[in-house]
Amino acid sequence: MSDSNSHSSGDRGGSEAPHPQAGTRTYSEVRRGEQRSDNEGIHMKANWSETKNPYLPDLATVIGVIDETPNIKSFRVVLNDEEKMKRFSFEPGQVGQLSIFGVGESTFVINSPPTRMEYLQFSVMKAGEATAALHDLSVGDQIGVRAPLGNWFPYQEMKGRNILFVGGGIGLAPLRTLILFMLDTRKDYGDITIIYGARSHADLCYKEDIEAWGKSNDVELILTVDANSPGPPIREGFVPTVLNEVAPKPDNKVAITCGPPIMIKYVLQNLAQLGFNDEDVITTLEARMKCGIGLCGRCNIGSRFICKDGPVFSLAELKRLKFEI
Amino acid sequence: MKTSAYLKKGKEKDLIDALDTKARLQGHVIVPCLDGDTVTFKPAEPGCTPCFSRPAVSPPKGVIYPQSETLFSFKFKKDPEDARRTLIDLNDAIEAPDTIIFGARPCDARGIAIIDRAFSQTDTPDPYYLARREKTTIITLTCPEPSTGCFCTRVGCGPAEKSDSDVMMTEIEDGYLFEALTDKGQAILKNPVLEDGTAHEARAKEVQGAAHERMVKEVGETDTRPVDPELFHSQAFWEKAAERCLGCGACTYLCPTCYCFNITDEQVVDKGERIRSWDACMFHHFTLEASGHNPRAAKALRLKNRIGHKFVYYGEKYDGIIACSGCGRCIRGCPVSMEISSIVAALKEGTKT
Amino acid sequence: MNIEKLKEIVRTVLPSVDVVIGYKKGLDALHPVPCFVTSPDEIDALVLNPACTHNLAAYLPSLKKKTAVVVKGCESRTVVQLVQEGLIKRENVVVIGVPCQGVLSARKVLNAINHQPVVEAAFENDAVIVKTRKAETRLALNDVASDKCLTCQYPTPVLSDHLAGEQVESKVDEQAAYQDIRQFDAQSLEERRAYWLKEFDRCIRCYACRNACPMCVCRESCIAETRDPHWMSQKATLNEKMMFHMIHAIHLAGRCTECGECERACPMGIPVAKLKKKINMEMKELFGYEPGISIDDKPPMYTFKVEEEKIEEHKIR
Repeated sequence: MSDSNSHSSGDRGGSEAPHPQAGTRTYSEVRRGEQRSDNEGIHMKANWSETKNPYLPDLATVIGVIDETPNIKSFRVVLNDEEKMKRFSFEPGQVGQLSIFGVGESTFVINSPPTRMEYLQFSVMKAGEATAALHDLSVGDQIGVRAPLGNWFPYQEMKGRNILFVGGGIGLAPLRTLILFMLDTRKDYGDITIIYGARSHADLCYKEDIEAWGKSNDVELILTVDANSPGPPIREGFVPTVLNEVAPKPDNKVAITCGPPIMIKYVLQNLAQLGFNDEDVITTLEARMKCGIGLCGRCNIGSRFICKDGPVFSLAELKRLKFEI
Repeated sequence: MKTSAYLKKGKEKDLIDALDTKARLQGHVIVPCLDGDTVTFKPAEPGCTPCFSRPAVSPPKGVIYPQSETLFSFKFKKDPEDARRTLIDLNDAIEAPDTIIFGARPCDARGIAIIDRAFSQTDTPDPYYLARREKTTIITLTCPEPSTGCFCTRVGCGPAEKSDSDVMMTEIEDGYLFEALTDKGQAILKNPVLEDGTAHEARAKEVQGAAHERMVKEVGETDTRPVDPELFHSQAFWEKAAERCLGCGACTYLCPTCYCFNITDEQVVDKGERIRSWDACMFHHFTLEASGHNPRAAKALRLKNRIGHKFVYYGEKYDGIIACSGCGRCIRGCPVSMEISSIVAALKEGTKT
Repeated sequence: MNIEKLKEIVRTVLPSVDVVIGYKKGLDALHPVPCFVTSPDEIDALVLNPACTHNLAAYLPSLKKKTAVVVKGCESRTVVQLVQEGLIKRENVVVIGVPCQGVLSARKVLNAINHQPVVEAAFENDAVIVKTRKAETRLALNDVASDKCLTCQYPTPVLSDHLAGEQVESKVDEQAAYQDIRQFDAQSLEERRAYWLKEFDRCIRCYACRNACPMCVCRESCIAETRDPHWMSQKATLNEKMMFHMIHAIHLAGRCTECGECERACPMGIPVAKLKKKINMEMKELFGYEPGISIDDKPPMYTFKVEEEKIEEHKIR
């Protein structure tokens, strides 16, 4: 076999790969490198800039910083190479690696939709070294971007169906790209329901979006916060509990969920109780990642890599992989 | 065109020197050498003592996939048009000198073949690895006898396995027969230190056959049984198997097929490098997330992943191939003598350890 | 080393603990392995001989169970030190002491038999008889014992709830305990530097030395990997390797019980225990302190006094 990467992203969403691919090299080509003259290996010696070196980030400039919550900021970035930025395309749900040179890289979903390409937006929760450094960025600062990476939400297959989003905390980020995409292509989809919760009012992300969705007739928005949060009166309770209270019917519905692992775990259980098929429940996973190309060995679930074959998985796939959240 | 050549015993160093002279300008010859009482692959420098009588403690994978390497360097500079802005220069030049690995074992060569697939059969091939890989010639020594922990024939490799090397070198009574297996190998055979080998081909073939038979007798034929899926997912099995594991990286760093890595940045004042370095899936921190969550916090889960990668996951991607060459280094090098061969045998049996 | 006596003790102790850590047959006769006995039918698999080298006390800090552990003299010091530092609780550990005449260095044995696979080994009082496919070799224990055993001061465990065998007296005069280090120290600084650079060059940063060390308890916060503090890079350079080993050694000042696990665990044969012993020698001379002797002691580096009463230099001034 020449290419093992017949991963699920290939049959999902877009009809072609979202980024230029270097020619696939078979094992036998490498093994029999000796059958070529030394000069034929010349592209190996060359400076692998452009897109051929999968580890080399594109330089980009921060053009906007938004304080979402006390520990989450969103960054709007554009690639410095104007041509590249113009050519850049991705699918909703794909991720990118952001570099602070000297500190390192970290993986984030592109949470702006592919229908709005003035910039790429990433949201960063402060947790470790790289995210702390990202939080120090201001407009005009230079970062590195390796994107897009991974697979995406099967939005083609969702056409004509009702959609239920269930998000918690910064887990709204990957849902946001798909929500905005669906709103921009609204006629393709049925009812859209969003259940979103956070610990407190202050911890709700994307407040502008939330306000807009709350007023819009295109979506039904259900917000919830943990008990005793000061702010306007909205539902109180954990997302999985609220999901049960709302009790959406699985009629022609696809559920997409993302949030802290413990929330996802209970949301998946509750969706099953509500009668959703495993194939119609989609989540997007996080893991410690380094290479972003399915090689470094950190984020695998069995033979699949979250960075490359994921991050988007259906519950059915996760069960086949015997993955437990 | 020569397909075989002969070298008298005692002239090993002459050949190594001759090969080195040819490659000297650009690269080097890597040979198993005695360092104290440890055998490791090192550049054949004057004063090094080649040792072919037992397998090196560590494999030669570092020649193609070094323990650490620079992916690119970066340099910060002031934007001449706006002093408040800092610009960044990136440089990802790749260096790959001509290199000869002299005296690898068939399991070493198989290890490299296994890593080849991971780094090349993908839509994002690894330029650093491929550059070095193409510049490397592998001269493999037929394994004279099994060492403690060896189990190559059980995983489809063997002491005289030729499929992963450029030259096969077989010790016969008074010398060595060199067989070219590739074009790169034929270039080696042109070296004037080597004599014609035709007269020794038959004897070498006998030696290779005998070596294979001895190993099969010692450790058994290729075990084609699949891993028992139920046992593979049994937590109790892995907890027992990993009980004495210390969670160090000896097994992975000594393994000819392990290739997990880390990427880290190093910066001094206004410049720095992004480094790729070996990492080990047996380390607790390998999968530790910034949030504190760790999907493989228990050593049982880490051992399952390591063995799973070699005997289940790799094969799911690459035609059922086992990502283990049976070299036994992880067994010999383990501070608590963990035996991957027994664990895998138990998994295939479907019995508990 | 009396295996029958040991089994008898384990039979008595097992009902009162969750697990007994001892040794069982392993890879070959030179490599028995740690085993975790939880039921009486596993007791017969226990072995005890000079090839039983692992410091089983290393498992204690991470085992959250009531544990009985088989220890020799140096390893009993580890238990004492772990209790002293609050890393384990005395009441959770049952110490089964084994008086010890010295253990093998598998490396020395393999060198002596030309690295032939070992088929069998028999142990006599002062010798080991090793059988390979090609030959049978009788090796004097003294010639193939671990370096640590050649100067051992505590062949009988300093702490034990049960003792499997008769007390053993040290064969080495206290004055000679650090003779090997003094001899090494007699070389010039340049010679010693060259020696260590050559040795550390082989280091593959697998951290077997660290993980096998029962007193290395930083684990995930080890500076070898942390980015905060970011003292070391992941570059495989000699400087970085040297830096790690120096920090490892310094971290063990006044804590190392000289069990030699760091050196035994090293797959590359780097004599890392020598560094720790050197520091122990300095600690003894400076503070009159030996780690792992009494539970009520405090390692000198755990406290700070302006006038350290035991530091001899005050007297010099």
